[in-house]
Amino acid sequence: MAEDALPSLLKVVKPISMEPRRLALETAGAFENDGFRIRDGEWSGTLSKGAPLFLQVTLFAGENYWFVAASPTTGAMLYVTVYDASGKPIKSDLWHNTVNAEGTRSATGVAPTQSGKYFIGVESMRGPTEGTLDFSLVYCYK
Amino acid sequence: MDPTNAHMTEPQKKAAVFLDALSVPSPGEVFAALNKACRPNWATLVTPATAPVTTERPQLALAVGVLTANGYVAVEAQDGQQVKNVGRELMALAKSLGVSQSLLGRGNSLIEFADNNNWDALADELEATENEVKNTMMGQKDRDLVVLTSAAAWLRGLEVATGVVLSSDSLQGAGVLYQPELARKLATQLDSLPDRMKRGSLVPAVKRTMETTASLLETQDTKTDTQRKNYTKIHDDCSAVVKAILSSSMKAPSTIPSPLPGPTPSKS
Repeated sequence: MAEDALPSLLKVVKPISMEPRRLALETAGAFENDGFRIRDGEWSGTLSKGAPLFLQVTLFAGENYWFVAASPTTGAMLYVTVYDASGKPIKSDLWHNTVNAEGTRSATGVAPTQSGKYFIGVESMRGPTEGTLDFSLVYCYK
Repeated sequence: MDPTNAHMTEPQKKAAVFLDALSVPSPGEVFAALNKACRPNWATLVTPATAPVTTERPQLALAVGVLTANGYVAVEAQDGQQVKNVGRELMALAKSLGVSQSLLGRGNSLIEFADNNNWDALADELEATENEVKNTMMGQKDRDLVVLTSAAAWLRGLEVATGVVLSSDSLQGAGVLYQPELARKLATQLDSLPDRMKRGSLVPAVKRTMETTASLLETQDTKTDTQRKNYTKIHDDCSAVVKAILSSSMKAPSTIPSPLPGPTPSKS
């Protein structure tokens, strides 16, 4: 009986993967070298293909921001989009890692002209396998 | 299809995640924006770091937020001794809250970075310290205390920011203050706290201040005189509640705003 219970117990206590966060922070480190400061916090979750997830943030006019998302799954296409309070995408710089790099990493840079509420959307458009994709998002500002 | 061209739907906006660690800007982030908009004289904004003597956990949690914001002011002023004082008081608060187990290293880092004038590292360490306190609170099923710490840090940051903006005839830097949705969200979170957290006068006073602030920030009047009156009201209310948080008694000051908000004349 104890042996029967073991697999489900292992499933319950399976540690949360730190790999998405590690990849996101590693990528954000490049911006840190350019004077950006990384927030000490992360947004992590699991994406289903074509079903975006959104985070609410407050951004300030005159500041520059980079939002970095990463997943350990190589070859998945991650999109990070910044929306204003009305839900309209705002002008941004996009960056994606090369196809052969470790995991999938994507970043979006914005310089808002107005302070206030914004939304960050993360979406996976394709992947090497059907199913879900673990991701982590961090952001930095300057 | 490139998803970056599509607009968000209303259900998507409503379902957006609000995360304490990312959705609420740190005081350091607010001050960085303020530095770009105007040139505050940070040395004049440094205040003594004194934690309240109390056993009330809600007040202790509020004080963590206020002192963390004070730490950022000291970092901007490049006042190493004051940062060390803030660090010491934060450790004392964490001990009183029973969340100090993993914080000793943070305290040592704050001292080391202050001694070496490593201001960027100090700002990072302050945020990490605050988050570690919050994470430990969460681990101890004290999610409600995290709400109080975030609200207090934001109110203290707003007190400083409004003070800077009001010192300019043209209200330079006022754009940084425009965070009405965040104020309303924090007010809603405070309103949702269980009744046991709202005992005494302090937490209700913080909640009223947040609601008043949200209402004033939502006012869309662009006249400089009206803006100045509103920012003065916000500044005075925030100052009063911050003073109450750091007070060693649980009494709220008589200047705490009434539940029905409204602009008041500038005290000049």
